[in-house]
Amino acid sequence: MSIAQLTKAWQPMSYGFLDASAKRELRRKMLKAIAVPGCQMPYASREVPMARGWGTGGLQVTLTLLKPSSVVKVIDQGADDSVNAASIRSFLSKVSGAAETWDTLDASLIQSRHRIPEERLHAGQILVLQVPNPEPLRPVEPNMSIARQMHADADYGRLWLILYEQIVRSGRIMEGAAYPSLVNGRHVMTPSPIPRWDVPKLHMAQHLTFLSAGREKRLYAVPPFTKVEPLVFSDVPFKVEDHGALTCHRSGVNGFYMNEIPQGDGGSAFELSDSHLGIKAIRQAEGEADQIGATWYQNGHLA
Amino acid sequence: MAYVATRGGARAIDQAERLYRAELGQIDATRVDAVRRALPMLIDRVMGEASLYEPDLAALALAQAGGDLYEAVLLLRAWRTTQPRLAIAEPVCQEQLFTHRRISAAFKDIPGGQILGPTLDYAHRLLATDVLQGRPYTPAPVTPAATAAPAYQPSLAAWQKAQGLVADPARTEVAPDAIPDLTREPLLFPAKRAHTLQSLARADTGGMLTLGYAAMRGYGNAHPTVNELRLAEAEVRVRHPRGTVFSAGRVKVSQAEVTSKGKSGQLSLGFCATLGWNEVKVISGATLDLNAAAAPKGSPVEEEFFLYHTEPVEASGFCIHFKLPHYVTFQSSLDALRGAKTAAAPQSEQVPT
Repeated sequence: MSIAQLTKAWQPMSYGFLDASAKRELRRKMLKAIAVPGCQMPYASREVPMARGWGTGGLQVTLTLLKPSSVVKVIDQGADDSVNAASIRSFLSKVSGAAETWDTLDASLIQSRHRIPEERLHAGQILVLQVPNPEPLRPVEPNMSIARQMHADADYGRLWLILYEQIVRSGRIMEGAAYPSLVNGRHVMTPSPIPRWDVPKLHMAQHLTFLSAGREKRLYAVPPFTKVEPLVFSDVPFKVEDHGALTCHRSGVNGFYMNEIPQGDGGSAFELSDSHLGIKAIRQAEGEADQIGATWYQNGHLA
Repeated sequence: MAYVATRGGARAIDQAERLYRAELGQIDATRVDAVRRALPMLIDRVMGEASLYEPDLAALALAQAGGDLYEAVLLLRAWRTTQPRLAIAEPVCQEQLFTHRRISAAFKDIPGGQILGPTLDYAHRLLATDVLQGRPYTPAPVTPAATAAPAYQPSLAAWQKAQGLVADPARTEVAPDAIPDLTREPLLFPAKRAHTLQSLARADTGGMLTLGYAAMRGYGNAHPTVNELRLAEAEVRVRHPRGTVFSAGRVKVSQAEVTSKGKSGQLSLGFCATLGWNEVKVISGATLDLNAAAAPKGSPVEEEFFLYHTEPVEASGFCIHFKLPHYVTFQSSLDALRGAKTAAAPQSEQVPT
């Protein structure tokens, strides 16, 4: 037996860009995150060839999970062709040899910024959400060491207080995206900034979700079949965005989360935020054999 | 296919990058070499923030980024993080530093002497516009001193410790592998001392100056006196697998120690060191370190505050990320806003007239 047999030949870059020690740390932290759903796990967070805040946390998790047989989809704001999604996707396939796809049904790994696809994810698929700020307590406690202690004590009273004050001031809860949600009845998490529309998709889902913040060096997970409950009062139910009755002006599809496009006449047009769902709907209408999977929402309501 | 999705994304980013790079033109070894020779201070600053001592790579990063410091630091950090750790160098003690410049503001003279070394401190800052008129600026030759300054200098703190002015905690031996490494572990608070010093060493010079200056102006609780400022070269001594310790070369380092009267009746010290020669950075960093001990939570001189906010790659990246589309989250806020308006509308009609 010689050294040459035991080791691999030198290569200028490791498979999947990150070196083995970085991946080992990430795997350990990802397993811990699965073991304690919703709990933020600090990790070293290596620099990657992209600027912080541009998906470096999601990227590190995705790079650790990638293998040559992976089929990867990357979306930003729901769109596959968004410039940053295109950039991340091409980087991922370049360093791993994984196949690229736009189709949610075909993907084994989906990295996303701000959206969960409308088609239901199934067991075996992994969703990686890019997170700018992992700390739901930031609005009430900017100091991370104090916030960490508050999580340990499940001291979440001030989050409910914010919601209560919003009701008093505005007549309703004013949280937009990143609605604070209780995971597995224990840890409150920021579900990245996905719209409220997408939060119920995490509840008792079949797929595994990782949420990773590269700049803030924290990652957390929602394992399959885990409770994810938005913080609400018993007499004030959780409300998703009022998009159920809107129709996409390009595909004619209705009942999903929409992008509002201001029009010259003072009104607005709407288009599907999940861009590939729109493409599939149009192709289907034109008689092509595109398959649209089961969706979480049907006729604008959660199925 | 009648419907073609906008596949502009990939092409747009490709062309946008070309547009930027076209402006910079061809980058070759000559340009990199010229950058390295002409801008040693900038090279030092970038190497410190990247925590990678390699002047040629730093010059390459600067050339490739067209002088955008944050881009250059990111390029180097992203390269650095993939490199294997071959060895951990022996600790560098102050009295072993090959010292070029060493001054103290605390005493008129100090053991070993005040060594001015290379500095612009007392230069008149006159722009040499003659150069643009075709008359090159040639620096006057340096006249060597009659007696050369000693290359190795004791530390002033050693004298202060002997005088009982500065606390002298017992030194604990730490195995090289056991030294916490900020680049392999997350920074958590209260921070390990090694993490604090590593974090200061790779912090953003400008950011550190801003917060350090705020502390100096009065937003801190301790006024710094420069106990000792040093520009030096440190021997990188590593252990050969056979056991011999040898020098793998020298790196330029700067370090500052600032002091103020502590509450315990002794002097307290703040310390900062970095790769390369960067005086503004180490004086600011040492001032922040000095102030951190008694800082209230959430104040700019609290360790968590200044270490998080002076991280150049994180801070600059997050700042520019706001250029990314945010229309999904904006739409969500808009929905809440319109919902509140609709809910409020009937109430305003009920106002009695």
